[in-house]
Amino acid sequence: MKIQVHGLRKEFGKTVAVDNISFGFDSGQVFGFVGPNGAGKTTTMRIMATLEEPTDGDVFLDGCSIREDPELARRLIGYVPDTLPAHSDITVHEYLDFFARAYGLRGVPRTRAVEAIEEFTNVTGIRDKHIKALSKGMKQRVTLGRALVYDPQVLILDEPAAGLDPRARVELRELLMLLAERKKAILISSHILTELTEICNGVVIIERGKILETGTIDEVLKKSAPRRAVAVRLLDPLQHPLLLKELLQTPHVENARETGAEVQFEMEGDAEAACGVLAHLIGCGFKVLEFRQMKANLEDIFMNVTKGGVQ
Amino acid sequence: MTTLAAIGAHFSRWREWEPNPIVLKELRQSVRSSTVAGMLILFLVVLFFTNLAYLIGQSVNINQVSELGAQIFPALITILSFACLVFIPLFIGVRLGMERQESNLDLLYVTTLSPGRIIRGKMYCGWYLAVLFFSACLPFMAFTSLLRGIDLPSIFFVMFCLFLVVCAAIQAAIFIGCIPVSRLLKGLLCLAGFGCLVGLSVGLASGITEMSRDGIGSLLAEPEFLGGFATFLGVGLGAALLLYFLSVGMIAPESANRALPIRVYMTVLWALTGVVAFAWAFHVAALSPTMSPIMEAAPLFLWSSISYAVLGAVLVVVVSNRDQLSPRVRRAIPANPIGRRLAFFFYNGAAGGLLWVAGLALLTFASVQICWAVWPARHGAVRIGQPVTEWRQFQEVTAAAMFYGFDYALTALFLHRQFLSRRTPKLAGVLTLLIPGALATVPPFVLFLINRLTWASMDHMQLGNVFNLFTVAEAQQWPHLIFAAGWLLVALALNARWFWRQLQHFRRLEPAAPPDNGTASTHAHA
Repeated sequence: MKIQVHGLRKEFGKTVAVDNISFGFDSGQVFGFVGPNGAGKTTTMRIMATLEEPTDGDVFLDGCSIREDPELARRLIGYVPDTLPAHSDITVHEYLDFFARAYGLRGVPRTRAVEAIEEFTNVTGIRDKHIKALSKGMKQRVTLGRALVYDPQVLILDEPAAGLDPRARVELRELLMLLAERKKAILISSHILTELTEICNGVVIIERGKILETGTIDEVLKKSAPRRAVAVRLLDPLQHPLLLKELLQTPHVENARETGAEVQFEMEGDAEAACGVLAHLIGCGFKVLEFRQMKANLEDIFMNVTKGGVQ
Repeated sequence: MTTLAAIGAHFSRWREWEPNPIVLKELRQSVRSSTVAGMLILFLVVLFFTNLAYLIGQSVNINQVSELGAQIFPALITILSFACLVFIPLFIGVRLGMERQESNLDLLYVTTLSPGRIIRGKMYCGWYLAVLFFSACLPFMAFTSLLRGIDLPSIFFVMFCLFLVVCAAIQAAIFIGCIPVSRLLKGLLCLAGFGCLVGLSVGLASGITEMSRDGIGSLLAEPEFLGGFATFLGVGLGAALLLYFLSVGMIAPESANRALPIRVYMTVLWALTGVVAFAWAFHVAALSPTMSPIMEAAPLFLWSSISYAVLGAVLVVVVSNRDQLSPRVRRAIPANPIGRRLAFFFYNGAAGGLLWVAGLALLTFASVQICWAVWPARHGAVRIGQPVTEWRQFQEVTAAAMFYGFDYALTALFLHRQFLSRRTPKLAGVLTLLIPGALATVPPFVLFLINRLTWASMDHMQLGNVFNLFTVAEAQQWPHLIFAAGWLLVALALNARWFWRQLQHFRRLEPAAPPDNGTASTHAHA
């Protein structure tokens, strides 16, 4: 399944919530959708879920336009909104059963699908509880179950980790990784960027309705942080001043500084150049205990790229 | 043949049929709802104590009432009609309205359930709830027959009629719940609906009381009553179906051809009611040959008046349509020229909608005109003079009113296009209402400011004010017609280019391939 967002635009009166954005991802990929509040993430996701009609542009699911054939698109998309189910007087099992019926599942296959999803999302123990009596984490599981009960190929998750406790977050992350293994295409928005770095293959950074960066995590990291940050630890920390002196004389190395028990510096060049620096240090007689490249995380990139503007 | 085969295959798999998921969900929620349970208990308690009060009253009364059943029955019907006509439609309508909130639309509306199935599900749930309340009331009703004064067939007939009215009220509530307006406006609509339902239940209860006093059994034997009942059934069914199609259209995806089923249904309904009106008028004429032609043609006048009123209301909706058709609609435009031109009238779009309304209005006018030619001739030249005047006056007033309707709509469209083109097309509909509103209120306001406002001044001719048309003297209606026709010509000239452009753009769109870009490795296109 190939998902292509093409020239999407959404206006609410004079406000342009989404301004001509395009990106794409495939089955088995988890794509992070990040941006400050009011960036246009939820609007984009609502358009993809056919809840909103775009002013311009379209979303294609394996070539099927969501504008022209929203009914077919709805079969392919599972949407988890940022709001939790507010249905009163209905149990978890009835809620999931209703959505299974609503997506055309019948008879025994429906019963099996509902039971399987209850097991997958770990809500079997609370299947007869009323939804309104559930905790936020449990409601989030039920919402995810609702989106998965008819086995959609694409999952759109809007802030699924918001308000969850650490354990529920870890479990949600594991669920998402399992779903990616099952070849689902997943678009997830979240403000917890460290978690996204761990589970996402790609990322779209959006602000004021426009895309600032998009691509695989590595590509974005490379693009946003062209210089490598390296940390070195010596067997004898007393040699750190000498190491600093040496590094300052090494070509392409900048910003060398002692930070706690290690020395950090930035350098230009590829992995081979890094190996060259390591060989040079060993050649100079330094007993190198650790030489590692420090990865810039999504949070750093997000802070660098965005300005925090809202519409 | 394919459709027949599909229907045959559907019925051959009857063992696999499953209930509408919406009905299941709604009923599950309703039976657990404290609102429904509380209302049902309250209903039973009120019924019980009403019966008890009548029985105790009978026992202490010196002059014993021999037909106590006939006295209790209207009271019970009043309670039942209040419970079913006010509570159930409100319950269904408010729930639906909350689910349809634009900021937090219920996800059931983005499932693969068709809009028709969703609306039918809501409707059936309302019916089931009505059956629940009727069933609870039935033992009390049957009891009244034991107290004499009313028989069981009469009870069942009245309850059947009430049930039909409740079903129509439920459909009306569903329609209001579907209207895509803000929460505040929805609340106001809800209040208005509540007022209407209370009024309806009070009116119905008093009507039934009156009927039971005259004797329902004897009424059932009268052909006139049965004719009236058939008319009530037909009108109710037609209106309920119209509300159903409108509700389905409102919850259908924006890219769908929402207008098509509504316009087709309204055209069929218009034609059917027209045929019935003609047949009725001819039947009346055959029954009483001495009746004046104007009285004979009364059903026709009624039909045309209602048609004009509905078409006038439809104009507001039609001008709120978007100019740009979605690719989905454009791909469904027939390729052959005749089909394409016919589709222009029935598919989404303000221009086509205006032509469709104009076509129906013209046909209504023509049919009454044909009657004018036929009816006096049937009665001979002697009786022509008197009815002709009334007939001509009716045609003049309706024509002027329709011209005004188009004047407002076309002017609103022009204003929207010129000054508010970036804003929602719904504003054109709002303007269509605001223009006659302003023309009706500004002159009296100005007169009030200069202290010249009197009842007589209100009756003076106010060209452009459609309401004034119905209050001025007969002689002043002709200038209204001329003015409205002149305004229409100007409005048509202002919108001619737009009309032509819409006609030119109404062409079939061939399927386009999706763009071959935008995978994970691509960079921002923004």
